[in-house]
Parts: sequence; C-alpha cells; structure tokens
Amino acid sequence: MKNSYRNPFSGINAVTLDDQAILDYWCSPFVYRLFSEIKETDIYEDPSNIVFMGGRSTGKTMFLRYWSFPVQLKLACQNKANNKAKRIIDYFKEKKGLGFYIRIDGPVLRSFDGFGIDTKKWNSIFTHYFELIVGRNYIEAIKKLYDLENLKRDEIEDQFIPEVRQIINEPQIQSLEALLSEFDNRIKEVDRFRGNIPFFKNDFIPSKGGFASQCLSFGIPEIAKKTISELKESINFILLIDEYENYLEPQQRVINTLLRFSKNEIRFRIGMRLEGFRTFNMISEDDFIKEGREYRKVIFEEVLIKDEGYYHFLKEVSKKRLESVSIFKENGKIDIAEFLSKTENLEEEALELVSKNPGKHFDHFKKFLTASDIDAITYKENPLLELLNILWVLRGVKVDEVKNAMEDYLNGNKTGKNEKKYHMDYVDKYKLSLMFLLCSIYRKHKKYYSFNTFSFLSSGIVGNFIELCRRSFQYAEFENKDLLIKEGKISNEQQTKAASDFSAAELQQINRIEKFGGIIYKFINNIGNIFRDFHKDKGIRYPETNQFSADIDNLPDQKFKDAMKAAIRWSVIQKKPNLQQSSPGKYLEDIYTINRIFSPSFQISYRTRGGHSVKLTASDIIKLMSEENVSSKDYLKQMNDESGKKFIQKKLFV
Amino acid sequence: MRKLVYQMDLISGEINDHDFFLLSGGSDYRAYEVLRKMKSKDTAINKILLFDFYERVRDIDKSDPYFEYQTIGFNNILPIKCSIRDPNSCLQDLIPLEAEFLSTTAPKIALDISCFTKPYFFYLLKLFKERFKIDSISVFYTEPQFYLFPGGISSAYRSSTGPLTILEIPGFSGYESRGDRRVLVILLGFDGDLSKEINEDISPSETLVINGFPSYSPKFKDISLVANEKLTSDRDIKVKFSRANNPFEVFNILEGIKNENGKSFINIAPLGTKPMALGACLFALNYPDVRVVYPLPEMYEKVTTNSCWNSWRYSFL
Repeated sequence: MKNSYRNPFSGINAVTLDDQAILDYWCSPFVYRLFSEIKETDIYEDPSNIVFMGGRSTGKTMFLRYWSFPVQLKLACQNKANNKAKRIIDYFKEKKGLGFYIRIDGPVLRSFDGFGIDTKKWNSIFTHYFELIVGRNYIEAIKKLYDLENLKRDEIEDQFIPEVRQIINEPQIQSLEALLSEFDNRIKEVDRFRGNIPFFKNDFIPSKGGFASQCLSFGIPEIAKKTISELKESINFILLIDEYENYLEPQQRVINTLLRFSKNEIRFRIGMRLEGFRTFNMISEDDFIKEGREYRKVIFEEVLIKDEGYYHFLKEVSKKRLESVSIFKENGKIDIAEFLSKTENLEEEALELVSKNPGKHFDHFKKFLTASDIDAITYKENPLLELLNILWVLRGVKVDEVKNAMEDYLNGNKTGKNEKKYHMDYVDKYKLSLMFLLCSIYRKHKKYYSFNTFSFLSSGIVGNFIELCRRSFQYAEFENKDLLIKEGKISNEQQTKAASDFSAAELQQINRIEKFGGIIYKFINNIGNIFRDFHKDKGIRYPETNQFSADIDNLPDQKFKDAMKAAIRWSVIQKKPNLQQSSPGKYLEDIYTINRIFSPSFQISYRTRGGHSVKLTASDIIKLMSEENVSSKDYLKQMNDESGKKFIQKKLFV
Repeated sequence: MRKLVYQMDLISGEINDHDFFLLSGGSDYRAYEVLRKMKSKDTAINKILLFDFYERVRDIDKSDPYFEYQTIGFNNILPIKCSIRDPNSCLQDLIPLEAEFLSTTAPKIALDISCFTKPYFFYLLKLFKERFKIDSISVFYTEPQFYLFPGGISSAYRSSTGPLTILEIPGFSGYESRGDRRVLVILLGFDGDLSKEINEDISPSETLVINGFPSYSPKFKDISLVANEKLTSDRDIKVKFSRANNPFEVFNILEGIKNENGKSFINIAPLGTKPMALGACLFALNYPDVRVVYPLPEMYEKVTTNSCWNSWRYSFL
C-alpha cells in the first residue's frame, strides 16, 4: 500500500480509454437531468440526426464512445453473465440500435489537401476513404456478433457476404475476416497515396474501383437489414462521428450531404465544438443543411449552472476517480467536497485578510466617517459586516439604524426595522462583492477554493473541473502528502494556486486559437480588466458584474464577427442559453460571459448575479479586440448613467 | 568484421568537396557557419542551393544577417524560392535539377539542417531517397550557444507565435492497421504548449518522451522537463534519454520502442533538437509505417538562438 497513491485526476483521455475503462468512469448525464433537449432512448431511436456541441473537455467523446458497439457489447456481456438477457443480440434489439464510433484525427484530415490536387479530386478521394472507414466499422461489429454465435451462419455466408462482395467488386471473398482484410488493404492504398503525393504527381486510381458517397455507409446497413434476420427490425445503425470541427470545409460538405439524405435506419450523432460547422453547404453548391430540418442540436455546456444536477454529476465523476485510487477507496475518502470543502468560508477568509491591519478598511473611507461612526459600526468578528455597514452609511442610512440592523441580524431578531433588508443584502446580495472589495482595499488576491467554487469555475466543462482537481492534488501531494492521504484535505492556498495557475494557462492558450487567437486574447484581457474595475468599485454599485450584451451575429465587420464566433467555438466566451434583459427594464438580447476559468486571473466573481450587463456596440467590440489596455472609464460611466444611483458623497466616485 | 554504418564527426579540419550543398536562409548566426568553414578550408562545391523562404525575407532589409551568405565568397549560390509553411513548394525548383543529381553514380550531397525547420529537412531527405534515389547524404549541423528566452529561463520558451495546426510531415503519413495500439513518441523541446497540443490531437494509448541528455548545456535537459511538466507529470508517461547531438542514439531508442511495442502504430513528434529530429527522420525512412507529426504555427520567431557552438557532420554509409 506504500506506493498506492497516484493523482486520481490525471491521465484520462476518453479517446484512448479502453472499453472497460469507459464503463468504469461513465456517469450518465441523464440521471442528473443535465440535458433538457434529449432523453437516453433518443440516442438510438430518435429519427432526427443529432449534433452534440460543446467546448474542449466537456465530455463529448466519453459520451459518444459510451454508445459505441464495443462498449455496449461489454455491457451486453455483463447482462448475459448476470442472466439479464439470454443472448447478446437481444440486448441490442432492446436498445434498438448499434453505434459506430468514427474518429479521424486532425492530421489525417488535413492531409487531404494541397500538393497541386484540386478540391474536387481530394473530395472524391476523401469520400472513398470515409466510406471505407465506416464500412470497415460495420463489418467489424457484424463479425463480432457472428463470432459470438448471435447471427445465423447461412445468412452471413450465403447472403450477406455475397452481396457485400458484389458492391466492393471482390468476388473471391468467402469470410468476414477476408472482407475486413480487403477493407484494410484499400484503406492502406489511400494511406500510401497520401504518403507519396508530396513527391510524385500521380492520380489516385483505386485498384478495384472507388466508392461514391453512401455506397458503403448506407449500402452495408441496407444489405445487413435485408439479409440478417436478427437485424431486420428495429435496429438502427447510428454513426457516432467525433471531432467534426476538424473536418475541412470540403469534407464537411460530404458529411452534410449524408445528413441530408440519411435513411430511416441510419442516423448520425455528431460531436463537435461550438460553432464547429465550417459550412452548412452540401456537395451541391446551391443546397445546405438546416438546424431543425436535417439535425437538432444539444449543447453540452451551460453558462448558468443553477441546476443542482451538474453539482451531483461532478461529485459522481470525482467519486469514480477517487475510488480508482486504492488508498482513498479503502479509507472511504471518496467525496471531493470533503477534500476541497463544500463552499467558501468568506468570514474566515476576511478575518485572515485583515489580521495584520484590522482597521485598514475604515481608513479607506475615513473621509466620510467620523470616529464615533466607526465606533458604532465596528464589529471585529466580521470585517465583511463592517464593510456592509460602511456601504449603508455611504448610501444615506443613519449610523444608529445601521448599528441596530446589524445587531438585529446578529441576534436573529427578524422583527427589527431593517433586519430583513440587512439580511438580504449581506447573505443574498453583497457578501461575495464585499469580499472582493476588501481584497482590493488590502491589496491581496481573492482566494478561489471549495467544491462550489470549482464547480462554477469549470463553466459547465467537466474537463476544467477535473483539471482544477488534478492541479490541487498535485500541489497538495508536493507540499504535504501525508495530510492529503491521511486526512483527505487540500488547503485553500493549494486550491487557490491550482485555480490561478490553470486560469493563467488557459488565458495564454487563447493565443493558440486558429487565425484569431491574438485579437481574442486582447478582447478577453480588456473586458476582464473592465470587469475587475467594476469589482473594485467602492460603492459596490455593480456587484459581480461579469457579463456583457452584444449583437455578434450582426457585427458589420466580418473579421471581428468571425473572431467572436471563434471565441464562442473555443468556449472563451459563453452565450447564456436564452435572450435576457441586459439590465433591468431593458429589451431582450444575447448575453455573454467570459469563461469562468478566467475569474482568478482578473480577480472577479465566478458567479452570475443577473442584474447589469455591460453593453457592447460593434465599435466597442472592435476597439476591445484591436487596442491594448482599454480604459474602463467609459463603461463605468455607461453603467452609472443606466443605474442612475446617487450617493451622499459624490466625490467618492471618479 | 565490423562494419561502419554511420559516422559523426566534429568539424575542425578539412571538409570534403561536394557536388551539392543545400542550406536554409536564416537570420541566426549559425545559418551560414558551415558555409564559412567550408570557405575557410577551400572546400570545393559545384553548386550551393540556398532555400530562400519568402516568409523570412519579407519584412527584413538588406542589412539583415539573412543576406550574409552573399558576402562569404561563393559565387555559385542558387536560390530556391519556397515557402516555409509548405515544404512541397520547393519541388518546382528542384525537379529541373533532378538530371544533375543523377548525372553521377554517387553524387556527394550535403545538407546543412541548422536553420531548416524540421518538416523541411524531413521532406528533403525523403525526396532525395524516394524520388532521386539518393540515400547517402552528409548532414551538417551547428549547435547554438544560447537559446533566446525573452522572459528569462524560468519563463516559457516560444519558438513560434499564434495558433498551431498539427500536421503530418509530407511523405511521413505512415500506415495505421486495424487494431493497432497508438503510441506517441515525443522528442522533448522547450516549448511545452507543443507537446500538449500534439498529445491531445493524436490521443495515443501510450506516450513516451525522449529528453536530450546530455544536452548542449547542463540546464537544457531541466528546462525541457519543466516546460513540459503538464505532460511529463502524468503517471503513465515514460521518459527516456538520448544525447541531444546524436541522431543515431535516438534511432536506436526508437527501434527499441518499436520492438517493445509489437503491433502498434508509432507516431513521432520531433520537437527536440535537430540532431534528435534527424535520428527520428532516419528511423521513419527505414520504417515507412511510422507517422511523423509536427505543429505548424502561424508564424515562426525570426531569431531563436544566438552564437554558435560546435559544428557536426553526420554521414550514413
């Protein structure tokens, strides 16, 4: 047991996990009702094509692979072993589908381009290749079922194989194994061409004929359903295509065309980044696919994670990972909220912050408070309450009323004159904002820690939560492994370091975004700093303002419009699900937040309070994307004008 | 009887005459170090092919060190106009020379890889082997004395700016057979972003890294490990070591990996030193089922090194 510790959150990539590991780590999002647009049975049964959109690390690959034939076969075998089903094929008949996971990596996709070959020729080579990849996938699954004696021998050998060998023009083939080898050889033919084309300008002439679109991808399922009785009724062929955003535009046209003409029993489930469609066009120039007609969309990440389901889902994901480390499993330390603490303790954080200079926040406002005012509203046990008291005084409430309201709140006297408002202001409205202001006054960074905080910081992206945990465990192991293992605790400081480091790394990664990285980085820096200035406002006039409204779809400048779309695609900014009012009383429009993971870098809140948003016009967006160090003054003024709030001490505010 | 299959020489004295000498234009001082040495030793070269990348010349003026090749004293320099982003772009200028390459039975060809990007010299070596049927080439390389870290050694090193696209090096697509395990071997460099991006894009079942040790300077081996911490801290990543200036050691390690991994699709990402990358290239030329991938950035930094250290010649016999 001495060496049984390893970081439970490291090294798990859904693409490379083996089938059993997919099952081991699988947490069903349907149990936690994370999707409102789709139910579990839709995966195999819904006659529409479905596109799953989400940023990097949102769990799309895990999700698609779970429904694939090899993984479901493992489940089917378990069912059979537990006497839940007589035959494996019955499991699939009950599910009503077979899933075929297709992932072609980026470097391969990009190799179908250039070297003096025109797009049309590359398209037909790619189509041939894609058909082979899909066809091989089908044959592999059918062979597996046949080897497990779930399909009739005469149907396979006398009907299925002859029909397939006819469409692939290979009359000698007698077995499924030989069929698979034939597919392998033809795929290798394409690979050899890709390897040689940089040196020799030869045309691609497949030795036994090329395959047009649908030939195998639709042709083989048709043959299967015609010739194999077990597959005849109620089993759909589901193509699970991953990383669609990597497909080049001409390649997406090929697949889009398949979406348009997909048959009843052949359906697509496509995983891609947000805004991952490079085109909605098809091979035919004057036709295109449309949401609602050729496909429906399911979004993997939600900006406002109010639904408790997401927290429970994260806990379940974490539990599986903690259980995989024997030393944690044996000691029953499998609740991530115990390691991180459930929520922040802002009172404790505030006390620690002011400990070396307890009166500094009063000094900060001394121009507006007398010594007796300060005496009256002091409460050494809670600097946040003291700051709230200062705020109330600045907003015109008499000092003795403030004092009474505080005392009523502390004593639980709900009948007190201002107790209800005081309670609401402190608990519901301003506590976190007060903490940010206190940090600003004491010139210290806000700490980011706790399960609740990490859940928010992850911005609906499970992979972000996992990375925050990975780093936290890594730092904890380095600094105090015993505390981590024996007590199952990670300090607030270690968590804050993890959050800050990850935030900084993600910020730097923006520069690597294809084409627009530089200008998106500028935008985020500028808007992040504007939000930070809002958080530092002495009167907390804009509590936790960290969202903006904008009409991105109608930006007149195509370059900046494309850049904002890229920012969405890469989850750098996230759109709120529905149109909202940018501020109380305003008309509905699109509201965006920056990815919560950037909050530690800009020292801003990780939540969304609602309330006010910064309104960005087209020229604002261009300015924020083009210039460095844009001043927040204009935006503060904008909010000032909108809120119309007046204060006793106007000269307090710039 | 022992047979010599490769040779690695420190250049100090005479340098053999050559029929062709290929090198890359560049603003780094070491771009023309071997050419200067050849001049000082009165080495005879029939034709010098200088790969003239338009991305490197477009924003510089005539006083830039890039143009120093014009003052070294050779009058038989033929510029090959090409794009650094597309190795295939040089083919149109090289094809007319094909007859010259083949005009002698064993042409003496030398390639200075000091300032070529790795995809470029990979492409050239395969071009010579596959198309021109020449597989005996002398490869020259000059070590940098310093790498440039604008923010200091503890800050991240960047050899490029802007977004990255992970590509197969042209001609090195390999073949992935059904059921193969994917193995990724990364030759570690200083830019940690690159290895992370590649590991995610390729998504291998297993990743191994080869770190250059001994390196040109003792601290470099640590810089590469620290820069790639996100990758190397993963429990499943195995780290191997190979001398940073010896391609043949890398070749042997890769061969060992291939033998250990049986039915696997080997992917190599040569992010480390150029001699290490040369070893990967020789390996991939020997084993065409291996794939070599590389991150193509939007823009390369103009100068990433300073001064020169040793110059080496690697010969394959």
